Amino acid sequence: MAAVNPPASEIGGLQEETLQSRRAVGGEGSGRRSRLSPLRLARAVVLVGVVFGAAAGLILTIVFGLAHLLGIGGTEWVGLLNIVGVAFILVMMTATLLIVAERKWSARMQNRVGPSRARLFRNEKWAFYGIPHLAADGLKMIFKEDFVPPGAARLVFSLAPVLAFVPAFALIAVVPVGPDIMAFGTEVRFQVARIDMGILFIFAVASVAVFGATLAGWSANNNFGMLGALRAAAQMISYEVALALTLVGVIIVFQTIRLEEIAAFQDGTMWGGLIPAWGIFFQPFALILFLAAAFAEVKRAPFDLPEAESEIIGYFVEYSGMKFGLFMFAEFIEIVALSALIVVLFFGGWSIPWVSHEALQSWLAIDVGLGTDWAALAAAFVGLFAFIAKMMFFVWLQMVIRWSFPRFRYDQIMNLGWKALLPLSLVNLVVTAAAVVLDPTLSLALAIGLGQAFLLIVVIISADSPKRGMMAAAQHDHPQEVSCST
Amino acid sequence: MPGRTRHLPERKTMDLLERTYVREMVRGIRLIGGRWARNLISPRDTEHEILDRKGPSEVTTIDYPDERAPISSDYRGMHRLTFREDGRPRCVACFMCSTACPANCISIEAGEYEDDPIEKFPVLFEIDELKCIVCGFCVEACPKDAIRMDTRWSSRPTLDRGTAIWSKEQLIENSRPIGPTIPEGLDGSSRLESREHERLEMKRKERAPGSEEKLEERLGPDRRR
Ligand code: SF4
Ligand code: SF4
Repeated sequence: MAAVNPPASEIGGLQEETLQSRRAVGGEGSGRRSRLSPLRLARAVVLVGVVFGAAAGLILTIVFGLAHLLGIGGTEWVGLLNIVGVAFILVMMTATLLIVAERKWSARMQNRVGPSRARLFRNEKWAFYGIPHLAADGLKMIFKEDFVPPGAARLVFSLAPVLAFVPAFALIAVVPVGPDIMAFGTEVRFQVARIDMGILFIFAVASVAVFGATLAGWSANNNFGMLGALRAAAQMISYEVALALTLVGVIIVFQTIRLEEIAAFQDGTMWGGLIPAWGIFFQPFALILFLAAAFAEVKRAPFDLPEAESEIIGYFVEYSGMKFGLFMFAEFIEIVALSALIVVLFFGGWSIPWVSHEALQSWLAIDVGLGTDWAALAAAFVGLFAFIAKMMFFVWLQMVIRWSFPRFRYDQIMNLGWKALLPLSLVNLVVTAAAVVLDPTLSLALAIGLGQAFLLIVVIISADSPKRGMMAAAQHDHPQEVSCST
Repeated sequence: MPGRTRHLPERKTMDLLERTYVREMVRGIRLIGGRWARNLISPRDTEHEILDRKGPSEVTTIDYPDERAPISSDYRGMHRLTFREDGRPRCVACFMCSTACPANCISIEAGEYEDDPIEKFPVLFEIDELKCIVCGFCVEACPKDAIRMDTRWSSRPTLDRGTAIWSKEQLIENSRPIGPTIPEGLDGSSRLESREHERLEMKRKERAPGSEEKLEERLGPDRRR
């Protein structure tokens, strides 16, 4: 029998050409790709701005417009409007879009096309960045069998997704997403519930989320689910300690646990207008500790051990259909809520740096000539916009972190939580407390914070460009492969 | 065992800075975030085939099935039976291919030409594409270059097993430039594929005049009637 593979001379023209172009790529290296065009960048920024602006406008219209129409300004009923405006529009919509963004963005980060098959019309060109996949996903989940494994504790099994979902959603209740305004005789706030507990409410609700994960794994009568549940319980309870302790520093600095007061405080400046009074400038170190602890609380990579889809499938292994969907959705809502929290605690909430809300309002009213009422609305719009922009940045950051870092090992997680985060947050707590006691004007605390920030920036800048560093290292070992893979 | 010990490469311990992970995180975020921005903003260059693509987007996969990767010319695809100038199949029903076939999926029935006492022809020539393992042995075995697998179509999905058995007429039809006979009820996918095939063919001609000759050599003159 003749040889099966054709000899090299018989390899068709196309194949040969492919090989040639591969060689050409190797020769030229990464220079083959042109640079990002600034025009496109500007266009993208404008587009993102328009979307944020639309969201801010929508919240403003719903909360203020309805309050004004119904004449319920200044009463607790505004909280109900905020449930619609803030909780549903802002948090739900963002979380829903994140379901697509998770897949589409991860594709972009990994040089893939990503989901593009679900389309609104049969027009081949309109994939809408994969957004129609939302509908496809939802339909799929609704029509899947609602499976309860034999031997499962049925009641707990059904309850667990709700227990995971509700606390995540409730987190947003105390977060102020915009400044309080008074316009046309209607006073509104952009916060669902204004309660004295503030941060304590967040700690309390966040610790309820443990039950969802733990009970889901336990009730499913599945060994892997049980493993995931144990991991979730141990991890979340461990990190709750650090999570709370890192924030005590923030509480000491702002001397309040009400989030709306924290946000309002950060609207001001320190040192005679030199530095915005943002939490990050007082507590940069606590921010990093808080980020680590909070990521562990959300159970996403690199802390996704309870899920760990490559080893155990996780605490929700037996869940199907919309019950699984609730777990997934809870995760995304937690991302949004956590980002909102970071913004309020460390990045000034709705404030824009150096310009206080009053200054902006009077500038709009007098210098721009909008009149007091419209100026108040415009200032609120600016505040909402700033909040959404900052929040989306942290949502994005969590996405990038999730797709950049490998999962930690279990002992590493525990070591990090108990041996690093806990003592460090205690140190931070002691230092902050001492600084605030020694100097109640917060100058010392600010100086210490800026010193920490300076150190961190030095550390970060000392990193060489990631691409160059890795390329050089890889080039050294396998020169050929590197040039091909660029 | 003396002399046979393998030394593992020395493990570099991380310094304190690296163990804090902060700098490493920033590096990672810069790399991945940069790639995200670049690929999200810039449009993909879909005009060229993957390796020739230009532009800031580094996306290297294609949006199948709207775009398709080029199929190499030695790709073993759907069978075809070549035919002579006068339209008769080249096959002489020698049974070499069906003997060589490890999957036993070629069934041939030989007949004799009335005017030709020597040469035979296939009265029946069927290939069960469901059984075929696409090994290409039949092509190698054929002494008359009568069976080939260079159509660049894969055998298409069918709704029942019978449709997957390709008759002599269908296999000969595969040799015509328009495309294969369309199995009943499946016209959509087939037409898409043959259109795609033509598109690739045209691109190839445009792009590589040199290689086209080689292609012709390989495909034989009967390909373009
Ligand atoms: S490709 Fe292989 S299995 Fe298929 S018909 Fe030819 S010899 Fe048989
Ligand atoms: S296709 Fe070729 S090997 Fe098969 S019977 Fe015909 S001539 Fe013989």
